[in-house]
Amino acid sequence: MLFSSIPFLFYFLPCVFVLYFLVPMRWKNTVLLLASLFFYAWGEPKFIVFMLASIVQGYVLARLVEKHRADRGRAKLFLTLSLVFSLGLLGYCKYTDFFLSGFNALTGLSIPLLHVALPIGISFYTFQILSYVVDVYRGDVKAQRSFIDLAAYVAMFPQLIAGPIVRYSDIASQLEHRTHTLADIAAGARRFVLGLGKKVLLANVFYELITTFKASGDRSVLFYWLYAAACVLNIYFDFSGYSDMAIGLGRIFGFRYLENFDYPYISASITEFWRRWHMSLGSWFRDYVYIPLGGNRVSKTKWLRNIFVVWLLTGLWHGAAWNFVLWGLFFAVFLTAEKLWYGRALAKTRVFKHIYVLLLVVVSFVLFDANSVGEAAATIGGLFGAAGVSSVNPISLYYLRSFAVVFLIGIVGATPLPKRAVERLGSTKAGAAVLDILEPLVLVSMLAVSTGYLVDGSFNPFLYFRF
Amino acid sequence: MNKRIKNIVTVVLLAAFLFGFGAWAALKPADSLSLSERRKLKQLPAVRMDAVLSGKFMSDFEGYALDQFPLRDEWRTLKALNRLYVYRQKDNNGVYIRDGYAAKLEYPMNEGSIDHAAERFRYLYENFMADADARVYLSVIPDKNYFLAEANGYPAIDYEAFVEALREQTDFAQYIDLFGQLTPDDYYRTDSHWRQERLPAVAAYLAHEMGVTLTGEYTEQVLGRPYYGVYYGYAALPMQPDELRYLTSETLAGCTVYNYETGKPGAVYDMEKGAGNDPYELFLSGSISLLSIENPNVETDRELIVFRDSFGSSLAPLLAEGYAKITLADIRYLPSSQMGKLLDFTDADVLFLYSVPVLNNSDTLK
Repeated sequence: MLFSSIPFLFYFLPCVFVLYFLVPMRWKNTVLLLASLFFYAWGEPKFIVFMLASIVQGYVLARLVEKHRADRGRAKLFLTLSLVFSLGLLGYCKYTDFFLSGFNALTGLSIPLLHVALPIGISFYTFQILSYVVDVYRGDVKAQRSFIDLAAYVAMFPQLIAGPIVRYSDIASQLEHRTHTLADIAAGARRFVLGLGKKVLLANVFYELITTFKASGDRSVLFYWLYAAACVLNIYFDFSGYSDMAIGLGRIFGFRYLENFDYPYISASITEFWRRWHMSLGSWFRDYVYIPLGGNRVSKTKWLRNIFVVWLLTGLWHGAAWNFVLWGLFFAVFLTAEKLWYGRALAKTRVFKHIYVLLLVVVSFVLFDANSVGEAAATIGGLFGAAGVSSVNPISLYYLRSFAVVFLIGIVGATPLPKRAVERLGSTKAGAAVLDILEPLVLVSMLAVSTGYLVDGSFNPFLYFRF
Repeated sequence: MNKRIKNIVTVVLLAAFLFGFGAWAALKPADSLSLSERRKLKQLPAVRMDAVLSGKFMSDFEGYALDQFPLRDEWRTLKALNRLYVYRQKDNNGVYIRDGYAAKLEYPMNEGSIDHAAERFRYLYENFMADADARVYLSVIPDKNYFLAEANGYPAIDYEAFVEALREQTDFAQYIDLFGQLTPDDYYRTDSHWRQERLPAVAAYLAHEMGVTLTGEYTEQVLGRPYYGVYYGYAALPMQPDELRYLTSETLAGCTVYNYETGKPGAVYDMEKGAGNDPYELFLSGSISLLSIENPNVETDRELIVFRDSFGSSLAPLLAEGYAKITLADIRYLPSSQMGKLLDFTDADVLFLYSVPVLNNSDTLK
């Protein structure tokens, strides 16, 4: 079920709210778990077995790890079993055909592909279970005694299928003790509606331009750039919108999820970009891959290896295709180059550092959005005039005019300017009074217009579901 | 307003919206059809185990929830207004409104599609007409974009090149140029089609080019219901409906229409269809693959075969005065290969009469 859908907003959500707030605290996690299982089964009725199996193994093996903590060998064995199960399931569902086709290409064999269907959200819930079991092994958290509570944590519908990746350690205490205040519910509702607006009113509109470009045989350099800009804004508003909705819903239910995006497009370096983009994934790889490999406290060669391993895995996490692998390695190259060579010089520039980041981000998301490396290369070539097409044509001028205001809203909306403007307005007494009246009205209007877009049946799949 | 009151107002407003429309959606009886979109609306699917396990129930329910959402048309209008007046986008669902006319973008020129249409026409000519002494004509009906698109900053195909591309491949047919015979006023404002009451001169011109003289005395009739054309539904914007008028005459009253699909006689104007979802189907009952109009009162045995799309339905009756029999064939529904069995082309006039949108998306021509 999509957050940005009529069944979710007007059927599922009201029912869950009523049930959740009617039952006493001790039943709330059960309600959340049952609602989450229904939510997941709505989209993937058969694959719920995979998720339940993952939760069961995580629950049992984490308990065994904790029970045998004194016996390092046994604890390690149970940890390894859990890792093998989680990564094996993820690998089987997500990467089997990728590796088989690679093996076939290398050896000239033609082993038939398995065409394994990818369960929705498997990358997210697998990483949550992995971090939980590892944290128990490390002694950072206690193993959860209640199966319901652990299952509710893993399966919780706000963040189940598109993140953010919520660490057990961040919400362990909230699973048992949390409060539900009017301020939290209002803040959560506000955040949810803002996220819905980002998704429906911006990301989907940019996606329309992307599909138009892909369907058109009548291209120009300008059209390539419109497509690339639409990609950059679509991916940001799609994913950060979903994260906002997840964080907002979590807050309504009394959970505080960590932020996942922090205006990444204002970054002054690629290093900074990745501190602001999909922060829950970046910190996960840092804590569970990069640091265990030695981080930067090793020889330069090993440090380089660690960086490239992390970014290879980051690319692969996003998808089992070579363009995702290259996408990850693309960032590894520039992150390394910034650290080794020009990071300091770049920081001293005023404008160039932003152009540098935006240009690389544009290229990276064209690579990200492509169906193949060849298609990505052709599109990137098109951006720089290598496609042998004219600079401008009537159709690209038409779409430039037709999407100009949406681009303007998207570009400004991807910066902290609107937030700062609201804060500034709210800092005066008169401004605060205006905001008090305007805010609820703007939110309801945004919900209403989003409903209009949804009823009109515009295209709106979440990009991050495929991960 | 203190923070607590603001929070209460925020939560109450948003909850009222979600719960209010949620309850309304769940409780309201399902509508059967959408007049503006001219289609049946999805109904609540039955809960069956196999449908649930396969996910079909869920996807059907999502379709149902979208179709049956309260105030569906108003929500669609709200979206269209946001798109056109807040985002300043130039079209909604590919439809734009200029000078009071709604038109659907038709761009770019699809050369492969023109080739396919020409290839179908040539197939018909070479297999059934070349040795039958048929006089073959070709005419292209411009869509509204011809008049509106370029002048208003919308992408427009090069109509001259479009026609030229078709003519180059159909040298067996004499081309009759209708572009200069039409103005935007000859089309409905909310629909793609042309208005029959504006066509007698166009019909006379076509007939003249085929060597037939029409005098055309008609009485205008008005269908007693508003006509919301197909673009009204696409655009979802507040537009005044059109008025659907049709022309009657003694000649047309004496004509008999034969529907080869049903094997039954019919009427030039199908009043039952006129009262249905698409009133334009009043003209010769709409999408019929093969039908004929016979005029027993004409002093000629000349026959006309028209390969046509829906534009032909409203024009063909106006040609009836000059022919003993007009046969209308639609190769979107009947394969061209069957035409030899169904039609006699000997010494007949044959007119390929197609609109630009069909020629530019001709993969439906069989």
